[in-house]
Amino acid sequence: MKSTTFDYRPGFADSDADDPLSGETIEVNMGPQHPATHGVLRLGMDLDGETMVRVDADVGYLHRGKEKTAESLGWAKFFPHTDRLDYVQPLINNIGYAMALEKLAGIEIPPRAEVVRVLLMEISRIAAHLIYLGTSSIDLGAVTMFFNTFKERENIYSILDAYTGHRMNNTYVRIGGLYADVDEKVEGMMREFLTQFPARVDEFEGLLTGNRIWYDRNRDVGVISPEEAMAWSLTGPILRGSGVEWDLRKNEPYCGYETYDFEIPVGTVGDCYDRYLVRVEEMRQSCKIALQALNRLKDTPGDVLAEDRRYILPPRTKVMSSMEELIAQFKIVTDLCLPKGEAYAGVESSKGELGFFAISDGTADPARLHIRAPGLMNVQAIPLIAEGRLLSDIVAIIGSLDFVMGEVDR
Amino acid sequence: MAIVKRKELSIGEKLYLPAIFRGLSMTFRQMFKKRVTRQYPEEPLPVNEVTRGQPRLAVNDDGTIRCVSCGLCEAACPAYAITIDGQETDRFIEREPERFDIDMLRCILCGFCEEACPKDAILMSDELELADFSREALIYDVERLKRPVSQLRPRLDYVYKVNERW
Ligand code: SF4
Ligand code: SF4
Repeated sequence: MKSTTFDYRPGFADSDADDPLSGETIEVNMGPQHPATHGVLRLGMDLDGETMVRVDADVGYLHRGKEKTAESLGWAKFFPHTDRLDYVQPLINNIGYAMALEKLAGIEIPPRAEVVRVLLMEISRIAAHLIYLGTSSIDLGAVTMFFNTFKERENIYSILDAYTGHRMNNTYVRIGGLYADVDEKVEGMMREFLTQFPARVDEFEGLLTGNRIWYDRNRDVGVISPEEAMAWSLTGPILRGSGVEWDLRKNEPYCGYETYDFEIPVGTVGDCYDRYLVRVEEMRQSCKIALQALNRLKDTPGDVLAEDRRYILPPRTKVMSSMEELIAQFKIVTDLCLPKGEAYAGVESSKGELGFFAISDGTADPARLHIRAPGLMNVQAIPLIAEGRLLSDIVAIIGSLDFVMGEVDR
Repeated sequence: MAIVKRKELSIGEKLYLPAIFRGLSMTFRQMFKKRVTRQYPEEPLPVNEVTRGQPRLAVNDDGTIRCVSCGLCEAACPAYAITIDGQETDRFIEREPERFDIDMLRCILCGFCEEACPKDAILMSDELELADFSREALIYDVERLKRPVSQLRPRLDYVYKVNERW
C-alpha cells in the first residue's frame, strides 16, 4: 500500500480557485477548559477549512505567582510550592530546588541520600511518563491505554504513599538530604514494582506501537528538526526525539548519575511518534537505573540528611534534651538564612531541564528565585509545528509535547 | 546513545482488524482478573503511622494540653494556616495556648509544623476526610484539634524513628 502524502500549505488547502470561500479563515478558540489541553491552556487558531493557518498558545491561566511568593516565604517554606509546579512528579521538583539551595549553602549531601534521591527521581519519572502515555493516548481515542497506565501509576503512588505519607505533593526533600530513609517495606514494594514493570512497558508498546490509528495519527506529525529544537530551547524527550543526544543526567551529572549504567534513547525524525518511542524507552531505562539504585541501598549505610548545624534541623531526641539544640531548632525554623550569592541547579525532569536559579542577599528570604520550567518552552513550540497542519493533529501535538500547566504558568 | 527503532507496520497491522480483536481480547481477559478499583467511601483508605493526615494537638493522659504556644509551628507553616495566642498557666510548662486555630482549608498537610514543634505537641494524625457546609466550620479550634496522645503514639514513635540521625 502506497502511503499518500498531503501538502498542508497554509492558505493553499483549497486548490479550487473558483471556490468563493477559498482563503477565508475563521477564528476558533480551543480551551482554556478543554480536555485535550491538559490543564488550562487556550489555543487561538485561525482555520482555513480544516487547516490551521495560525495557532497561538495563550498561557497564564494557572499563574499563581510562585516566584514572587518565594521572595516573602523564605527558603525552606518554599518546598511545598515546588511540589505544585509539575504536580505529576513532585519529588523531582523538590530535589531540583534542594540542589540549588545546597549549592548556595555549600552543603554536601550524604551518599545514601544521593542514592535515595536517584531512586525517587526515576520512580517519579516513570509516573510522569505513564501519565503522558495515558493522557495522550486517550486524547487519540485509546481508552484501554489510559486505564492500564493509570493502574500502573497507582502502584507508584501507593509506594510513595507508604514512603512519604502522601500520594501526591510529597514534600519529603529537605535542604541537605531527605526527611526520612526508605525502610524495608518500601524497598520491597519498589523492588516488586520495578521487576514487573518492564513487562508492562512491553505490553503498552504492544498495544500502541503497531496500532494503525496511533501510527497514522502520530507518524510525521509535528516534526521538529534538531536545529529548530535547539533554537527554541526545547529539552528533554522532545529534544532527544529530534535526534539530539542531550540529557543532564549524562552531560552534566548530578546526584552521582555518572556511576549508573543507562542509555539515552534518541529519535531520528522528531515527530510525535519519535517522542513517544523515546519516552517509552526512557521508562525502561529509568526502571534500570532505579533497580541499580535499589541494589546500592544496602551498600551505602548512613544518614539521609547531611550534618550541618547551620541549616539543618537537629535530631529530635536532642531537641528535647539539650538547650543548644533547642536554640538551633528555633533559629533554623524561624530564620534560615543562606549565604549571600547565587546558584543554579538543573535536573533532568520528565519534561526537560528543570532549573532553579536562586539569588540570596544573605537574609531569610530569597532575593530572587527563578524557575526554568521546561514546559513553558515546550508550549512555545506549538505554533512552530502546528501551523499548516490539520485541526485534528493539534491533539496529537499537544499530547506529545507533554506539558503540565502548573509548571508552565507557575 | 540508543536510537529508538521506528517500526514499519506489517500487513496484518495495516489491516487494523487484528488489532481490534487484540484490544477486545484484552478487555475480556480483564473481566476475570482481580479488580483494582477501590470503592472509596465504603472502603476507607488504608492508613498507618506514615500517613500525613490533618495535624492534631496532643493531649496528655491527665487531660492537659502539651502545647506551650511557642509559635514555632506558626512560623514554620508555609500556608499560614495556624494562628496562636498564648496565655500564662499555673502548670509547670507556664504557658499554654489561649487560642490555637488551624484553618483546615489552608493547611496543605505538609508536616512542617510537626517537624518544628519542640514539645511533640502537634502531630500529623491519620484523619484525612475533610468536609463541611461552611468555611468557618473548617477553622478548627483547640477543642476540635485535641487528641489523646495515646491515639497519636504510633505517629510519635515514627517521627522519632525517622529523625534519629548524626
Ligand atoms: S510548636 Fe508545638 S509547642 Fe510550639 S506552639 Fe506549635 S504546637 Fe505548641
Ligand atoms: S501541616 Fe503544614 S500547612 Fe498544615 S498546619 Fe502544619 S505546617 Fe501548616
